[in-house]
Amino acid sequence: MSIVLPVLRDALRRGVIAFVVLAYLTLVGLPARLGNDAPLIFALLAMVVLGLLLRRAEDCGGWTLLVQGFLAGAVAGVLTSALVGGLAVLVGSGVRLQQVLDKLTPPNLAAWLGVSPAVITRNQLGIIEVVRLALWLALAGVGGSMLARLFRAPLPIPAARQWRWLVIALPFVALGFVIAMGDASFPLVAGQRSTVRLLFALLAVGSGMLALRAAQPGLERRLVASALLVGLAVLPFVLDQFQNAVMGIVFIFVMMGLGLNIVVGYAGLLDLGYVAFFAVGAYAYAFLSAPFSSPWFSQQLTQLGLPTTQPLLSFWQALVPVMVLGALGGVMLGLPVLRLRGDYLAIVTLGFGEIIRLFMVNLADLTNGPRGLLNIATPQLFGYDLGNPRDMFILALIGSGAIAFIALRLERSRVGRAWIAVREDEEAAQAMGIHLVRAKLLAFAIGATFAALAGQLYAARQINIFPENFSLFVSIDALALVIVGGMGSIPGVVLGAIALKGLPEVLRGVDEYRIVTFAALLVIMMIVRPAGVLPADRR
Amino acid sequence: MTTLIRASAAQQQGKPLRLAKRVLGAALIAAALVRAISVSAAESYPLSFWAAQTVNGLVLGGVYALVALGYTLVYGILLMINFAHGEVMMIGGVAGFFGLQLAAALGLLGGSSPAAALGLLLVLSFGMGVAALTGVTLERVAYRPLRNAPRLAPLISAIGASLFMQYSVLLIFGVRPMVYQRPPLIADGIRLGVVFIPLTGLIIFVTSLLLMGSLFVIVQRTKLGRAMRAVAADKEAAALMGVDVNQVIAFTFLLGSALAGAAGVMLGLHNGVIKFNSGFIPGLKAFTAAVLGGIGNIPGAMVGALVLGLAESLGPSALGIPAEYRDIIAFSVLVLVLVFRPSGLLGGGEVEKRA
Repeated sequence: MSIVLPVLRDALRRGVIAFVVLAYLTLVGLPARLGNDAPLIFALLAMVVLGLLLRRAEDCGGWTLLVQGFLAGAVAGVLTSALVGGLAVLVGSGVRLQQVLDKLTPPNLAAWLGVSPAVITRNQLGIIEVVRLALWLALAGVGGSMLARLFRAPLPIPAARQWRWLVIALPFVALGFVIAMGDASFPLVAGQRSTVRLLFALLAVGSGMLALRAAQPGLERRLVASALLVGLAVLPFVLDQFQNAVMGIVFIFVMMGLGLNIVVGYAGLLDLGYVAFFAVGAYAYAFLSAPFSSPWFSQQLTQLGLPTTQPLLSFWQALVPVMVLGALGGVMLGLPVLRLRGDYLAIVTLGFGEIIRLFMVNLADLTNGPRGLLNIATPQLFGYDLGNPRDMFILALIGSGAIAFIALRLERSRVGRAWIAVREDEEAAQAMGIHLVRAKLLAFAIGATFAALAGQLYAARQINIFPENFSLFVSIDALALVIVGGMGSIPGVVLGAIALKGLPEVLRGVDEYRIVTFAALLVIMMIVRPAGVLPADRR
Repeated sequence: MTTLIRASAAQQQGKPLRLAKRVLGAALIAAALVRAISVSAAESYPLSFWAAQTVNGLVLGGVYALVALGYTLVYGILLMINFAHGEVMMIGGVAGFFGLQLAAALGLLGGSSPAAALGLLLVLSFGMGVAALTGVTLERVAYRPLRNAPRLAPLISAIGASLFMQYSVLLIFGVRPMVYQRPPLIADGIRLGVVFIPLTGLIIFVTSLLLMGSLFVIVQRTKLGRAMRAVAADKEAAALMGVDVNQVIAFTFLLGSALAGAAGVMLGLHNGVIKFNSGFIPGLKAFTAAVLGGIGNIPGAMVGALVLGLAESLGPSALGIPAEYRDIIAFSVLVLVLVFRPSGLLGGGEVEKRA
């Protein structure tokens, strides 16, 4: 008895947690998206969830674990099938559930039960389908208990030093696929050709970052890095317009992420209003290149007798004022918040970002309000227009490369060491003679400069910009990609941008769930792997 | 609960800088006052307008105070900002919306009988209950595993939780805003001279005062309250004295979230509508209120909230700026307080240092 009771209680607890997860996914309407495969995918999902939950099960080997998995799965199964069956009967008997719970449509419930939606609307649901669902999930519990074993074993990655060539080869294999797929004779479903190719391109860049980490430091890493650079340089010329456009956005976010990485990752200053500098860069370039869009600017220009229909400065000339304005913005935000730490800093910067956005919307004389600034000039080089997606991707690549280089040099400089010291312990850093004010302001200013550059490129790419392009979510995206990639790690930023800005383009169908997924990812990441996927070398 | 703000960069600022800051602060306040006096001397608004705005400000202040207390309670104990607190409030408001619909469908809110008042009370308690449950779950899932993590981890987790709650509500209940139907019992108002006080406003203000009073009693007079204060002062020592720290923290979240839930229902009644993002900006403002009063300080949160509510409702007209800049006033207050007086209005003179 003494063993049976705790096992039962644990199984019950884990089953209920798995049920809550499944019920949540039902409420947000995932089954309808998965269609006919829903029961199978959900069973697999339940397996993983139960496996993770059972991972912690203490001192019960072999059969006990299997039994516990089965029981937990059965609990989840009975509860889920009761919920789904009950809801299906309610919907079938004419209760308008959808008026309250938006996603509880007949197809949603039908996908769970593996029947057609008509069965539910006509209220012909049999008990067999409901029981079948419960059994499925109970079986998933057994599978989960086997998975739990696997999860418990330490990850085999560090042991695979001699297997690292496989990881290093991965990006080049992916790149090979991307190139091969450019050929029309490559066997692929016609409708998904472009998306699959994009996926491989993203995979190539993402795994490139893993390869960089897997290579032995020294000559080997340098060789891998140069090979990867060559691969990156090839990429814009083999991708089509859509793929290049996605990659362009990904690398604009890499530029932003590298800047935020300096503020958050190196100096440990949590900035939630980072979009403000992105907006400063974008609007500054917009004012300079499309002054006719802003009522105030065109009025001033007319008074000065200058033509209002032309850009004041070209893209290249505008780089300097944009960078200066960005740095000034960084210092101006930095000065009042110097003495604040962690949480306070986060909220004040968040407020600052909101203030900038409110100004963009309400200062209609200057910013043209929600109607935005239109017809921003694209960069030109020797009379050649660089406004197309491919050249924009190349510009973003060059910008990211330059910023990454500067960031890398900074990280290994005296300033970089000062930032890291400030991040780890302000008092100790100060005691060691680090000038806190200077170190923090420098981090803010450099981070803001990079964001402003990203903003300028973004404005040139979009041609028309509106205040809603600079919402809080840009800040959150940038922060999320730094954290997911690994704070303070440059390859991490690239990987994070690929995962958070690139993959959603491939998974267009589940775009609705993008923010919820990120949000859950942030929480899970902090609990499971607070240092990120590719943590910084030096902690 | 004492004020627990660390300030070390401040020490690096020399005397001239501090003096410059004082002068700057005084100049800012003087400029705002002069501007306010000159605008009100111009008499562009009638007295009844000012009175109505004052009432509105007090009502908003009452709502903010309830939310601010949650921030202050959690900060006092965990030294962390529960970034998702505004969303707990929003979920309380959503629960209140469905509670109100259900109560109306059951005929609990008809007429002006005591039964209708009881029905309203039930709706309020439902909102509080759901919010309390949300808050406790939030602590268990997103914060407890991170109690010994690096200091940015709980905050990032809180941002994740905040977004997760907002967008889950959007996904589950759809994009339709939830429109509160005011029950007939409180649809009207009273007229006092030039002032018209809507009954919802009066009820919100009185209820929030009552809730704050009961919170004060719980924290100061009960055994659990003493345990809370003990944990706030020193977690390890409290644990050694036999206080179940986990339980006390969960209870703190329960209290704070219940108050936020009440605020959510009230905000729904006051504004007439609740949406998935209704909690975000009010949450930020309530945090501002908590900081304004001195975070970790319970009476401070109430004072700060009332001051902020009044500043927000009277500020735009007094300073002669468009009402769209209302949010800017709140955020500027936050930045100014943090720069010039981080310990808040009631936070005591010296900033306490804590390792």
